[in-house]
Order: sequence, then structure tokens, then C-alpha cells
Amino acid sequence: MKSYLLSIFLFIFLAAGPVYGSDPIAVPVKTEASQAVVVAEEVSEPAAETADTTVDPFEEEYHNGEYADDAAIAKAEKVEIADPLEPFNRAMFQFNDKLYFWMLKPVAQGYKEVVPEPARISVKNFFANLGFPIRFLSCLLQADFSGAATEAGRFGVNTIWGIGGLMDPASSKELDLKMQDTDLGLTLASYGVGHGFYIVWPFLGPSSPRDTIDLAGRYFLNPMSYITPWYYPTGTKVVEVVNRTSLSIGDYESLKDAAIDPYVAMRDAYIQYRKKKIKRKNNKAGAAGVQLEQNFTKSGAN
Amino acid sequence: MKKRLVILSILMVFVLAVPVYAGIPLNTAQNAVNRVLEVLRDPKLKSPAAKEIKKEKLRIIYKDMFDEIEFSRRTLARNWNKFTPAQRAEFVNLFEQVLEKAYIDKILAYSNEKVNFYKETMISENQAEIQSRIITPSKEIPINYRMIRKGNQWKTYDVVVENVSLVQNYRTQFNDILANNTPEQLLEILRKKVKTH
Repeated sequence: MKSYLLSIFLFIFLAAGPVYGSDPIAVPVKTEASQAVVVAEEVSEPAAETADTTVDPFEEEYHNGEYADDAAIAKAEKVEIADPLEPFNRAMFQFNDKLYFWMLKPVAQGYKEVVPEPARISVKNFFANLGFPIRFLSCLLQADFSGAATEAGRFGVNTIWGIGGLMDPASSKELDLKMQDTDLGLTLASYGVGHGFYIVWPFLGPSSPRDTIDLAGRYFLNPMSYITPWYYPTGTKVVEVVNRTSLSIGDYESLKDAAIDPYVAMRDAYIQYRKKKIKRKNNKAGAAGVQLEQNFTKSGAN
Repeated sequence: MKKRLVILSILMVFVLAVPVYAGIPLNTAQNAVNRVLEVLRDPKLKSPAAKEIKKEKLRIIYKDMFDEIEFSRRTLARNWNKFTPAQRAEFVNLFEQVLEKAYIDKILAYSNEKVNFYKETMISENQAEIQSRIITPSKEIPINYRMIRKGNQWKTYDVVVENVSLVQNYRTQFNDILANNTPEQLLEILRKKVKTH
């Protein structure tokens, strides 16, 4: 079992390659480019994809004159991901698409008819509360101790006073313990692991080798996974997914409707979304030092 | 850390240097969104028959709020140069229709969610990013507007929904398509998309 996990980690490190440089904010483009190229070489993808991953020359060409000041923004936002498995991914995208329209959506719609929204939000809170171990661990692994403390506090408050997590009193104005937006994928990112290439898992959707570690971690750290017999955890997972879908029917449809190539649109949305989270995390880490100092002086004054 | 401090102080200088436009982009975006909400809340337009009137009113606000050419040009990026002026004009027109068809029902389905505008960041003297949130019972959706100053007017050229930039998203798609297709073929794809809806 252990050697199995180790080999997965090794695979991720080799596939993703390290992010170079110690300051990811200052040199985002450089790290991205080198990282993408490393991946591209390793998997020797077809020419079309390599064109996708190399740095665009358009900034120079396009941002002459009136758009000059924009080049910096466009560069800082350059987000691409290598996609060597595109044929497989496209097939999986189709599979998930059919799964959504033929099964998940009708079921979620029926469920939505029967269960009122406040109840569905409670169910969502309940499952979110069970996600505590992974957020707590992620905060600890990132040395974000105030985040870990917040999570621990939330879990205690919501489990006891929130009726096992059905309600979320910890987020109220008085307590203000906000859920920490973190996971193992972001933790690995903070260690300098690159996201690697794009992969679409059946049932689970868009991911990357790095975020796949998070999916695995989620499984192992979810208390529901350890209930026997095996179909109980599967059943609860189905409830969780149906419930979540019932609260966001229409989101996927509008993304798909608006897209010219839904597969590419989805891939881009996924990678943009993850990138911004990592960026925010880095900004927060920078601000956390200052915050800690302030807290320290405050408690000293008391 | 030091590097970050330097960048921060440079940014501070920028922020302090352009107080002239402070608040204007945010107000512009907020006004436009409020006008949209007024149309959507208008009790006189509640009947299904008034849908077309609503759409027409929203179109006027959209034209006022967005810079369509800027928007199109940014999504095509370097490919913009491959288009002839006639193709560009058609592209702008088709792209606008694609967007309208994709989002109009979502906008018309609005049911009293709250919209909060809370922050304006000046990216440069002529550009700003406005942050807003749509608050629904089950979640909050962050929506940012990127605006550019054209003469005396601030126009939106990009919308960032839940951290995903629309311009960036379309740019990736168009790049992908134009890697193997001519501009004319892309226009054909768009024409089909507009028709089939």
C-alpha cells in the first residue's frame, strides 16, 4: 500500500516538474513556460499541442501602441495547460456530459422538486462539515496555523451547535469562522509542484495529476469512506453529488451553451479557476506574516 | 519578500498618482447593472409577452456598458490581424449574438438576488477592475468587471465570473480553432452556432 502511494507521488513529481524560482508571484510567466515545456518534452505530444503550450508571441505583436500597458496583465494571466491526452479527455468529457444530461440532471431535478431549498443547503453544509479533515490537514501542511485553528473551531462549533453540521453557525457575524478555501492540490502547489497536464476523469471531471492527489486524499480522509458495507459510502456520495447538483442546475448548461468548443472552454475554465486560487493563497501567505505580527502586538498591549 | 515590497510600493505610487478617476469606473459599472435590475424588476414588463421589450432595453444598456470591438479584439488577440475588416465586423456581430443567446435567459431568470459592488482597483491610468458579488441563498458568486477608459467613458471589456475571465476563455477556444482553421471557417462555425439556437 505504502509503496503504491510513494510511486504515485513520484509519478506526480516527475510528470509535473518543479516550479523554478522561489517567488512565484514575481515570475509567473517564466515558471509556467518552462514547466509546460518540460511536460511537453516528456510525453512527446503532437505538434498542435506544443503550439498551445509555448509562450504566445502575440503580446509583442498585438500590444504595440495603445495596448502597451496591457501586455503586463495579459502576461501575468497567461494560463495554459498541456493536454497530451486530448483524445482520451475528449471521450471522457463526452461521457461525463451524457452522464449529466441523462442521469444526474433528471435525478437532481426530481430531488429539487421534493426537497425544499433550505433543506438542501443543510445537506450541503453537512457534507461540507465532513470535509474538515482534508482542510485541516492542508492548512497544517501549509503551516497556516490560524487557518487550521479556524477549521478546528468551525468543526467543533458546527458539529455541536450546528446539529452535526447541518447548520453553519460558525460563519455567522459573531463568530466569523469562515471555511478555509484549501485542499491538497493547493498544498502541493505551495510546495512548488506544478499542475502537470490536463486529465478528465470519468464521474469526477476535470483534473490534473496534482489535483488527483487531492481527489485521492479526499477519499481517504472522508469519514464516510470507512463505513461498511461498501455500498453505504457509495450511496452517501450519490446523495452528496445529487444534492450539490440540485443547487447548481443550469451552471453547466450555460457554460456549454456559451462555448464554441465546450471541451476547450471547460479546460480553460478549470485551469483559470485553479490558478487564481493558488495566486490568492500566495497573496494570503504574504499577508499572514503581517497579520501575525499585528496580533502579537495587540495581545502584548492587552 | 523584498521584491514584493518593491512591487507593492510601485503599485502604491500608481494608485496615489491617479486619484482623478477614482470611483468613476465603479459608479459606471454599478449604474449599468442597476439599470439592468430596474428593467428586470419593472412590474409593467412582468408578462411573458413583454420579453422582447425587455430584451431590447437590455441590448441598449449592453451597448452602453460594453466595448464590443475591444472585447472581440481581445478574444482574438494576435489572430485579429488575420481577419479582413469585413470579417472583423462580421465577427464582432456574430460573437455578440452568441453571447446574447447564451446569457439572456440566465439574466431574464433573475429573481431578486442581491448585487453588491464593493471594490475598485486601478490597474493603470486607463484601466480598472471592479469587484462585485451576486448573493443567492445558497452561494455568493463573485463577478469582476474589467474596464477601460475610452475618451470620457469607461467601458467594460472583460467579465470575470468566479475567477474565470470570459475573454481568456474565448481566447483559448478561438486560438485552438484558428490553429487548424481559417478565419472564414471560424465565422462559419459562429454562424451555425447563432442559427441552431
